[in-house]
Amino acid sequence: MEIKIEKLSKKFGANHVLKNINLLIEKNKSTIILGKSGCGKSVLLKIIYQLIKNDEGSIFYDKKKIVDIDKFGMLFQYGALFDSLTVAENIAFIDFIDGKKNYKNKVINSLKEVGLSADIYDKYPSEISGGMKKRVALARALFKNPKVIFLDEPTTGLDPINSDMINELIIRIIKKKKMTAVTITHDIQSALKTGDNYFFLNNGVVEDSGKCNLMLKSKNKLMNEFLLGVKKLQNS
Amino acid sequence: MQFIESIGATTLNFIRVIGKIVLFIYLFFRFIFKPKFYFRHNLKYFIEIFISSIPIIALTGIFSGMVLALQSYTGFSRFSAESAIPNIVVLTLTRELGPVLTGLMISARVGSAIAAEIATMRVTEQIDALKTLNTNYFNYLVTPRVLSLTLAMPIFVTIVDFIGVAGGYLVSVYRLGFNENMYLINTIDFISFSDYLSGVIKATVFGFIISIISCYNGLYSKKGAFGVGSATTNAVVISSILILIFNYFLTEVFF
Repeated sequence: MEIKIEKLSKKFGANHVLKNINLLIEKNKSTIILGKSGCGKSVLLKIIYQLIKNDEGSIFYDKKKIVDIDKFGMLFQYGALFDSLTVAENIAFIDFIDGKKNYKNKVINSLKEVGLSADIYDKYPSEISGGMKKRVALARALFKNPKVIFLDEPTTGLDPINSDMINELIIRIIKKKKMTAVTITHDIQSALKTGDNYFFLNNGVVEDSGKCNLMLKSKNKLMNEFLLGVKKLQNS
Repeated sequence: MQFIESIGATTLNFIRVIGKIVLFIYLFFRFIFKPKFYFRHNLKYFIEIFISSIPIIALTGIFSGMVLALQSYTGFSRFSAESAIPNIVVLTLTRELGPVLTGLMISARVGSAIAAEIATMRVTEQIDALKTLNTNYFNYLVTPRVLSLTLAMPIFVTIVDFIGVAGGYLVSVYRLGFNENMYLINTIDFISFSDYLSGVIKATVFGFIISIISCYNGLYSKKGAFGVGSATTNAVVISSILILIFNYFLTEVFF
């Protein structure tokens, strides 16, 4: 699915979070949205997903203004798994809540797809590790076979090995399922590895955009400051 | 001047909160008739609330009845009216103590749990996750809790009434030396259905108040651990105060 955003703005009281945003999320490509904390990335993601309404501007999903959000899946920053439900009930939530019971095989396949064993099928989120939670959350996001997957800081809180594992998983799944992916991240390594295109947000404005493989050669001053900051942080 | 301003700000804030709660109640009645209803989830929640509350309800009932019998005896024996104790115990329990004490205990036991759970779900983006899964989050989170508690409270009060009367009976017969048959006859003969009904109606209203206030505080909690703590405290304090206020007005109605 192609998503085109035109002149999108959003305010929370006096706080102008997004100002006249224009961007194109290409079909079956991985788009990365970069920016400092509080620059409006998560708000933008939630507006695209239709969880929050925008004040001005338009969003076109395959050239249409209306979209069925069943075509979307989302991986939240900290997984957002439902604590009171088991791993299986979390993954197959849409079936579970409708009272359907024949989701066992589908859940086991989903677990395999994200590199997890069926042993955790009946475990609760509090009984599994952070990396496992992220992968279960990814399995839940993929369960309804979405056309677009939104990933909010997919590697946050994970060690380098688990981060790399999640990145590999995302690349593999996006290619295999031919999905459009929109990722918010501060992790440049992750962006370079998993992204095709990037947009850099600063104070609610798109400051820079381009191909991810050319990101490090960007001539935008603010983008370079951001990259330098990330590099310094990584070195320290 | 600042003092007057602060009074004005507090008053406005109070009116704003009242307005938001009224709107929340409107949303509840609007969503209850909208798909999806999640019947199985509602039933599961009702059973959970019911089972987890029974021990605390039973303890509330038995000790209230026992204390009521002892205290009544202390007062009534001074003017030789001990025979009225069974009547007083059953009347006070069904009309007043049963619904109020059950309401306060359930507010502390279930209301706090509801507010803390929903507030935690909000803080950890679980409510956003429900929306992304195309789930009617209001019918998933609020409806089962409000329906369960509103329907469970009359049952809780009936249990408290029975156990409370049993507590009064035990103390009166085995501690104060009442004739057991006389005690039971006095109890059954004196109580009318309208006494029981007034308590049940009170309990239903209290159940609705506790669940609405707790869900509201959870759903609109501030972020972070402080937000969860505040939501829980506010849920218990506000619903307890409202129980006491509504109790007076309902008593006036059934007077």
